[in-house]
Amino acid sequence: MIPLLIGLTLIVFLILHLAPGDPVDLMVGPNVTPEVYENVRNKLGLDKPLYVQYFTFLKNVLRGDLGTSILKNVPVKDLIAERFPITLKLGVLSLLVSFAIAIPIGIQAAKYRNTPVDYLSMTFALVGISIPTFGFGLTLLYIFAYKLRWFPVSGHDTLLHLVLPVFTVGLTDAAVTARMVRSSMLEVMGEDYIRTARSKGLSEKVVMNKHALKNALISVITLLGMRMGWILGGSAILETVFSIPGLGRLMVDGIFSRDYPVVQGSMLVLGVSVLVGNLIADILYALVDPRIKY
Amino acid sequence: MSKCILKSLSLFLIIVLLLPLGLVGCGEEKSSGKILTIAYDKDADTLDHFKTGVYSDALIYVYDRLVTRDYNYNYVPGLAESWDVSDDGTVWTFYLRKGVKFHDGTPLTAEDVAWCIEKIIDPETGSPAQSDFAAVESAKAVDEHTVEIHLKHPFPNLLFILSNTVAGIASKEAYEKYGDEYGSKYLVGSGPYMFEEWKRGEEIVLKKNPDYDWGPEWMENGGKPIIDKLVFKVIPEETTRLMELEAGNVHILRDITANVLLQLEDNEDIQIYSTESTRLGYLAYACDKEPFTDIRVRRALNHAINKEEIIKYVFRDTAQPAYGYLPPKLKDEYYPNSKEEGYEYDVEKAKELLKEAGYGDGLKLTLAAENSTEYSRLAEVIQNQLKEVGIEVDIQLYDSSSYTAMLKEGKQELFLRQYSWPNADILDWFLLSSQLPYPNHSRWNDPKTDELIQRAATMPTWEERALAYHDVQKHLIEQAVWAPIYIPNHSIAVRKEVKNFKHHPWMIQYNDGIDLEN
Repeated sequence: MIPLLIGLTLIVFLILHLAPGDPVDLMVGPNVTPEVYENVRNKLGLDKPLYVQYFTFLKNVLRGDLGTSILKNVPVKDLIAERFPITLKLGVLSLLVSFAIAIPIGIQAAKYRNTPVDYLSMTFALVGISIPTFGFGLTLLYIFAYKLRWFPVSGHDTLLHLVLPVFTVGLTDAAVTARMVRSSMLEVMGEDYIRTARSKGLSEKVVMNKHALKNALISVITLLGMRMGWILGGSAILETVFSIPGLGRLMVDGIFSRDYPVVQGSMLVLGVSVLVGNLIADILYALVDPRIKY
Repeated sequence: MSKCILKSLSLFLIIVLLLPLGLVGCGEEKSSGKILTIAYDKDADTLDHFKTGVYSDALIYVYDRLVTRDYNYNYVPGLAESWDVSDDGTVWTFYLRKGVKFHDGTPLTAEDVAWCIEKIIDPETGSPAQSDFAAVESAKAVDEHTVEIHLKHPFPNLLFILSNTVAGIASKEAYEKYGDEYGSKYLVGSGPYMFEEWKRGEEIVLKKNPDYDWGPEWMENGGKPIIDKLVFKVIPEETTRLMELEAGNVHILRDITANVLLQLEDNEDIQIYSTESTRLGYLAYACDKEPFTDIRVRRALNHAINKEEIIKYVFRDTAQPAYGYLPPKLKDEYYPNSKEEGYEYDVEKAKELLKEAGYGDGLKLTLAAENSTEYSRLAEVIQNQLKEVGIEVDIQLYDSSSYTAMLKEGKQELFLRQYSWPNADILDWFLLSSQLPYPNHSRWNDPKTDELIQRAATMPTWEERALAYHDVQKHLIEQAVWAPIYIPNHSIAVRKEVKNFKHHPWMIQYNDGIDLEN
């Protein structure tokens, strides 16, 4: 896990610093004397060679210091603490909604395979995978917030504010997950132990829900970590459409203004969340599959 | 166990779906009072106006300035009741209004004013506005209500820079007391609105200063604010901003684009105020590179541009053609013969000039621009127009940070720029040879231009200065340094609940009688 994180920070660091564009320029403007420019640059430590800057960054991270935002002059830790909770909340809720929708649909699609129910479900899946979050979010916003006035248009204060963004991601993500549940179920249903269960006289309902699903869920759960990463990574788009001050937007704004500490810190936090998501998936995996013992 | 999981998941789903319905009707806790909301596409980075070049609008209402601008762009007393200038033009004495208090109750004195100005010119501060104040040598408090500003040379433009946002007078005591937290958690000015809170990425909230009545004479009722709170909300997506405006959650949108304008035209709840702005968009080129070193080529480029077509198709008629180097709104400084002496659209003339210069067989050039929708459309239209005269153009789009980096490195050939500035000194900024390589990205290095600009910038009176800038513009037109194209309209969308709205050429004056009907 640690080597992964270090690798991540190294890649992000390099990409940022190699891109054209200078944060000091953005701060002081183009018309200051060279002394002022150098002054500011040195104060920020940007005059040191890249490898020194990188190791300073790593060293500080280990002490819990994520640096200070170049343009905002505020500790990155504070900025992230303000923004991360809402992104995480959106991510977790979206994931839960996604699974809550995808699992029943996947099961029904597998059960009634090659019938209209199946085709309908898979069409839903195709649409969900193809639709861009941006367009879908704006459409939901237009219909349910603007025209019908059921939900507020922007912000994140109440649970009501979160419904549309959560469903934007939840629905589109459910489409992907539903397909996986379906194929996982189909695979399991072809196994010997299912035939045994049927031949024992158990009802189809018990066979499906008790025996098949449990085994199918194994592969679905491993999806959890991946989906979490995907959802968190795409949060910037969601946060822009719904005007939510989350970590995704902080990071994207930081990239455009070359605010290196902000981007590095955000990437680190997002990276850690994805790894934690995977860890949780592994734990759940062990809970569901009695064959696995850690 | 799987049944359990399934059951609990379905239960959760049901709860998630039902909860919002349960909450409908709960209603938000509405704070009482008149709250005016204005939406922006991005948040401020910092509210410390000494340290940033990008000023949040909030700073205009939290602070007062020595000099103000009225609806006709005249410079009128603000915090300074009056001023006089020494005979040699290098010492300005400002007499401050008495009885002005900061938001924390302490009195505003000459010491605060002098401190603010010294802070701007101090290289340690790293203020981006330092160059605007280059003519200022020092500022000192003569007594509690008198400030003397010493200049390095006569500079009638002092009134302009003292009316700018950067010259907002902050409390020296508060600034020093709060240190790094000033500009993020604390702001202490003397303006009509006080800083209440800043939720980063979301909104800045200001509340009215109940003691304020020392507004400039051109304001109603001494500039006493009627609206209780101003909320500067951050809504990054344009469509969302529009929806909020139409829903009535946002009352004002500044800087609306042509697209949005067309959508709002038929909406009865919204009033659009449009005036000519002090912005100018132009096609520029690196004048120290071939083929732009040849004046015939530069003139040919000017002749090749069909301004009317651009204004119709790119700006949907929400702009005016630009003939010179300054917007006509700057009535004193604008050179009135810009159109007559400029270059009208003439494809044949352009071809002829190019042939004379030896490019009769055509040219291949790159055209750089920022990657917004408007700029990319503009680039495409220009590409088409230049094709007519035999110039083949390759368009390169950049994000804004990379764009400035590229211009600094000097890689540009043709490129598009737009400035927004209400003063002739913008020409100093872009075209003095001392400004090479950036912001003089036209790479214009001409002793005559330097001489004319220096002369204008150091004229003793405003009138002489304005006339001398006419000479500068005449020369620039003759030399075809840029190909000016358009002056976009400045449009503001205002909901009908906002009463007594007046369109100020610089910035909305919320404390000049503006009211909100609930």
